[in-house]
Amino acid sequence: MWKTIVRRFLIMIPQLFVLSLIIFMMAKFMPGDPFTGMITPETDPTRIEELREKHGLNDPWYEQYIRWIGNAAQGDFGMSYTFKRDVGALIGERAVNTFWLSLVSVIILYAIAIPLGVLAGRYHNSWLDRLIILYSFVSYAIPTFILALLFLFFFGYTLGWFPTSGSVDIKYDPGTFGYVMSKIYHMLLPAITYAVLATTTVIQYLRSEIIDAKTQDYVRTARSKGIPMKKVYSRHIFRNSLLPIAAFLGFTITGLLGGSIFIETIFGYPGMGQLFISSITSRDYSVITALVMLYGFLALLGSLLSDIIMSIVDPRIRIE
Amino acid sequence: MKNKSWSLMAMLLAVLLVLAACSDSDDSTKEEGSSTPKGEEEAGSNDASLSLSVENEGDAVEGGVLQVALVKDEPFQGIFSWELYDDGYDSELMDWATNVIFETDGEFRITDEGIASLEVDEENLKATVKIREGVKWSDGEPLKIEDLILPYEIIADPDYEGVRYDGDFQNIVGAEEFHAGTAETISGLKKVDETTLEISFKKLSPAVFYGGDGLWSYAAPSHLMADIPVADLLAHDLVRKNPVTLGAFKFDKVVPGESVQFVANEHYWKGKPKLDGVLVKVVPPSSISVAMKEGKYDLAQYFNATQWQEIKDLDNIDILGRQELYYSYLSFKLGKYDTANKTVVSDFENSKMGDVELRKAMGYALNIEEVSEVYYNGLRERANSMIPPVFKSFFDDSLEGYTYDEAKAIEILDAAGYKDVDGDGMREDKNGQPLEIKLAAMSGDQTQEDIISYYLQNWKDVGLNVVLTTGRLIDFNSFYDKVRADDPEIDVFMGAWGTGTNPSPFATYSGTSANNLGRYTTEELETILNNIDSPEAMDSAYRSEQFRAYQEYMEENAVVIPMQFRYELFPVNKRVKNYNVDYETETELHEIELVAEEPIAGN
Repeated sequence: MWKTIVRRFLIMIPQLFVLSLIIFMMAKFMPGDPFTGMITPETDPTRIEELREKHGLNDPWYEQYIRWIGNAAQGDFGMSYTFKRDVGALIGERAVNTFWLSLVSVIILYAIAIPLGVLAGRYHNSWLDRLIILYSFVSYAIPTFILALLFLFFFGYTLGWFPTSGSVDIKYDPGTFGYVMSKIYHMLLPAITYAVLATTTVIQYLRSEIIDAKTQDYVRTARSKGIPMKKVYSRHIFRNSLLPIAAFLGFTITGLLGGSIFIETIFGYPGMGQLFISSITSRDYSVITALVMLYGFLALLGSLLSDIIMSIVDPRIRIE
Repeated sequence: MKNKSWSLMAMLLAVLLVLAACSDSDDSTKEEGSSTPKGEEEAGSNDASLSLSVENEGDAVEGGVLQVALVKDEPFQGIFSWELYDDGYDSELMDWATNVIFETDGEFRITDEGIASLEVDEENLKATVKIREGVKWSDGEPLKIEDLILPYEIIADPDYEGVRYDGDFQNIVGAEEFHAGTAETISGLKKVDETTLEISFKKLSPAVFYGGDGLWSYAAPSHLMADIPVADLLAHDLVRKNPVTLGAFKFDKVVPGESVQFVANEHYWKGKPKLDGVLVKVVPPSSISVAMKEGKYDLAQYFNATQWQEIKDLDNIDILGRQELYYSYLSFKLGKYDTANKTVVSDFENSKMGDVELRKAMGYALNIEEVSEVYYNGLRERANSMIPPVFKSFFDDSLEGYTYDEAKAIEILDAAGYKDVDGDGMREDKNGQPLEIKLAAMSGDQTQEDIISYYLQNWKDVGLNVVLTTGRLIDFNSFYDKVRADDPEIDVFMGAWGTGTNPSPFATYSGTSANNLGRYTTEELETILNNIDSPEAMDSAYRSEQFRAYQEYMEENAVVIPMQFRYELFPVNKRVKNYNVDYETETELHEIELVAEEPIAGN
């Protein structure tokens, strides 16, 4: 197994290299550059040209690429053109926000979805099952931004239960207990929104697995041995039904850094999704490339993690 | 059986819902960033009631914190230095704690009311800046002449990466040498005594009175910043976290990208502010209207005027409005820019739009009045020239501009020989060849597409066949790429300029400027433009005359067709006792007062 993991990591290097080449080229082919948007009648086109020259934007793309990959290999992804900050620090700051938000989201997601999935599967075809199915279809169908706005208006503004924008209240100092609580408080509403929207897959998988398992031989055996139904569900069926969800766990973990553009925009929460979109519109090359590389790496890592997790939870699967 | 039909139903339902979700989210991406109300419904209702200031009844409460919403759908950049920032939102934030040393009148001309006064010696190309005594930084240190010199040294530093080291700035004697590293100091800056700075220029124009020609209007705290290398400034706490400033409020806390807390500056030279502080938060455009209704904020900055419908009936706010320093225009490609020689080369003979009569007809054919009314609720209006009305001494309401007149457009085209030869309803050119005019227009919010289609129809109504370059609206970046590169696929294009506080049109229409995007230049126009910025124009009567000549020339020759001026809106909660957005009599920040403990919620 360790051998495989090391091999998988080694394969990542050429994969990421090809990805970097493609993304760098595509980024350069986009019309405009970081300075296009800065032009007003008062800015001097000569100065803009000077700055382009200084940042090497006039060189052919492959020269820029070689320069970039040289630095990137040493962990230096350059400066953001828009934020004028070190790309690593900028992404780091946003990644922390996104990571915690996603983590809270995922916890709430499973807290909602697993019981619902189990109930729907166990009592399938009952009114409860239909209600849960209806819920999961509706939540699947509602576009993110609509539910986010509804929740924000209702719980945030009308009822005033939750803060309406930002990631923390300015009155607390970093490091204090109040600061941490304020951070969590700010995360709750966006996290609930995300969780409500994402439950469908988990509910559906769990439900159909359980329905499937109910007719399996091992369940019948267990029942015939006289094990109470409650125990059969908790010990036998539940564990087996979690397999498909475990298969996604790797992606779920690495996906914690992905961020959601809609949720971040509507709740004014500075995270990775927004950073990605705004870096594309402002042609902030250094941020675009760094983010795509990061996402690429996470996707590869996610699939590896999923394989590892599967081999742990399902002894029939071996990584060779 | 029962089961089967259920699952079939469920599947159909799912498919339907998915489809609905897809189409919804497609719409949403187009809408991103600017949700637009449906303008058609309220055609005719106008903004005539927009006022420039508000006074709310009631006794002022002691202190209080003004809650400000900065309407923006992404985090702010947070570069709090007048020398280094790029983004307008950062300057909006900095305004609460500004480092500006000059005050200006309603037309942005420097007055003697500020921290510093300006005297210009035109003969010797010198300006003398004198600072008041007793002005202190927010940390209590006195303001010195060195604080006025430092910004120049930051901008001219070889490591400076901003846009401000430009041709204008190099007008300061010695700036280029300092930038090149051949001089220790900028020779054109001379400290005369503890309160006086003398600046030497290579040339002087009336722009100097507006803070142009290289004159810098801000101070920087040299007692803290002088020893920090310019390359390190951008990341420094003095720029990002706790800048030291001169304004009514001072930075207290910054949550990067989200919010800034200001507190009253007890050292403010005009006196301690009546408020305890100001809290500015970024609020996404999607929820700002509800936030104003619920009384979360006292004031919204950068409120998108297209969302006016959503707040116009709220009873807990007043909506103030003022003309922006902005005009949109229709321009014609009449030549090329010669990058090597830095000159505009006009070619009227071979340009499709070379005929002034054709250009005029295109202007008269546009029903901009209707578009302003229907799509913008009167929050935009037809521009009569390229000088926004805020510049009272140069704006001239007697100029007609190209008011909508379909008959006149037809008449002009008929007279100029654009006839429909082949009977397809579209005019051919003077030689009877098919005439297809390619229009480049920028993509924007949802209404943008409708508006452009409407304009195309306007032209069709007078028999002109105008089609879109690339067949659709073009994204901002590609649009300017194509326009700047003089793409042959563009005959006419619709753009907009923010004019800034210096109304001089030299940068956008002179024969040497790459920003002259229409590539129109003639000797006559060049003379007028030079006159506007000539030493004689220091006499304001003469300058006004030249501005008038410029506007007449542009109109007669249809160099560009001015399209719209627009208003910016400021929703203000009724808790705020006094607020004024008139450039001339703008509220002094330290005098703002509140009449209630919390912003007032609407019904």
